[in-house]
Amino acid sequence: MVKQKWGDRLGTGFIWAIPLTITAIFLWIIGDVFWHGLGQINWQFLFTAPIDAGRSGGIAPILVSTAWILLICMGVSLPLGIGTAVLLVEFSDIKTGFGQLIRRSLDTLAGVPSIVFGLFGNALFVKVFGLGFSILSGGLTLACMVLPLLIRSTEEGLRAVPQSYRLGAASLGISQTKTLWHLILPAAMPGFVAGFVLGIGRAIAETAALIFTSGYVDRMPSSWLDSGRSLSIHIYDLAMNISNGNANAYGTATVLITLLLMINALTSWIGATWTNHHFKF
Amino acid sequence: MGWLGKTLLMAGLGLSLWGCGQSASEQQTKLVLTGSSTVAPLANELGKKFEAQNPGVRVDVQTGGSSRGFADASQGLNDLGMVSRDLTDDEKAEFQDWAIAKDGIAIIVHQDNPLTTLSDNEVTAIYLDKTNDWQALGGDTGQITVVNKAEGRSTLELFLKYFDLENGEIQADVVIGDNQQGIKTVAGNPQAIAYVSIGAAEQEIAQGTPIKLLAMDGVEATTENIKNGTFPLSRTLNLVSQGAPNPLAQQFIQFAQSPEAYAVVEAQSFVPLDSQKAKAKDLAPQS
Repeated sequence: MVKQKWGDRLGTGFIWAIPLTITAIFLWIIGDVFWHGLGQINWQFLFTAPIDAGRSGGIAPILVSTAWILLICMGVSLPLGIGTAVLLVEFSDIKTGFGQLIRRSLDTLAGVPSIVFGLFGNALFVKVFGLGFSILSGGLTLACMVLPLLIRSTEEGLRAVPQSYRLGAASLGISQTKTLWHLILPAAMPGFVAGFVLGIGRAIAETAALIFTSGYVDRMPSSWLDSGRSLSIHIYDLAMNISNGNANAYGTATVLITLLLMINALTSWIGATWTNHHFKF
Repeated sequence: MGWLGKTLLMAGLGLSLWGCGQSASEQQTKLVLTGSSTVAPLANELGKKFEAQNPGVRVDVQTGGSSRGFADASQGLNDLGMVSRDLTDDEKAEFQDWAIAKDGIAIIVHQDNPLTTLSDNEVTAIYLDKTNDWQALGGDTGQITVVNKAEGRSTLELFLKYFDLENGEIQADVVIGDNQQGIKTVAGNPQAIAYVSIGAAEQEIAQGTPIKLLAMDGVEATTENIKNGTFPLSRTLNLVSQGAPNPLAQQFIQFAQSPEAYAVVEAQSFVPLDSQKAKAKDLAPQS
């Protein structure tokens, strides 16, 4: 009896220790970055161009380039991703070869290292399409990289919608398009939001895929065909290539993490609002 | 259709329309430099100064390593390649090169390491793992952590050539990529030994990073000794092109070799060329 109780306590201890450790590691990383980085951040840092290879000055052009790269990436991958997921779940049989083939390819693609996407983007967008080192090349390369995450996650969300919704709607004579738009997609919102958050997280943190596509130039971009440095590449260069670049590397990392947290919060909020809006009867 | 759907649709349409209108090029005013990641920050800063003096001109710098500098130059993908070492005879036959700065490479150890100099033989023994305790060299007891550079890095090639080593023989405990990684590894490990750019190490030491430059066979590792040529292990940072560079590129080379560029070179922790030498060379290929 006593032995059992100790075993229970030990078990409880373990179960608590695991999430606490994970949370502690997360807080440690965030805390370290903010501790070193917050002091660097002021209006000047956010609104001026880098000076002396980034050792001083700010990150304004880099923020703008990053925003454009992300916008292009998401603008291209969202419609494609949702479309493919809908096709896979609603309009193709799970057992048929076609759907299986797409799913297999996506899973393989999701595991491909980002440098491979970088070389692919360099060969296709930069050279064959003649876009050169540009924000457009970088955004499109990231879109290719993010697509599998987005599709698979949205697909899971769609599959989680009970079959009874579809049958109910069909028995009421509602068209398949309307059912999809008003019922299935809002109900699949959590999966979609998860995919979006994962996708944007991977995109914003990417360096290897961008160094050969959107490039290294830290000037304010004047069009999508200009080369533009992303926040992640700026951090990498400051930390690994520039002596005494550490302080501003931390500052830039703080901005990057804050941006990521803000995007995630905003996405969840939009997702929740949309779901509520569509389920108000 | 909800507002989100509309926004997405508009974004998609806008994107496809936008793509059509963009094909005009501005070749005349744009200078593209690709290659060595060591030279890239310097070229970028030189580019900014050059842009300020020549309104309307844009200098785009892309990294990827010295070998990419050569490859892009021979495929016509850049106006000038950046290479962080002296050219081999074969390369000199194919490319023209212009020196823009010098950089020395020296051995660094942790600040707490009592040693101040190592002979070439001692360094060779450490990297071949024939000596693997600091005590054998007169230091404190402790196993030596050997830090080596990854394959393809110019610093590695230079190091191997100088010490007459083969990369396969080296018994490395840690393999690193960039300069700063070497400095960070040694700063965090009192037993470590690595080789890095002297300029970068000097800047870090000035900021209080706990590392120390060792003299090489008695010659102090200072930027001064690179400038006067007494330090044995140094390299030249070059711009290269296959065939004659275009007029804008020639103008940039002239600017990069002029005394105006010295402050930028020093700020990027490299050593400016001897002013007289640079002037005498002008635009003629070095070889």
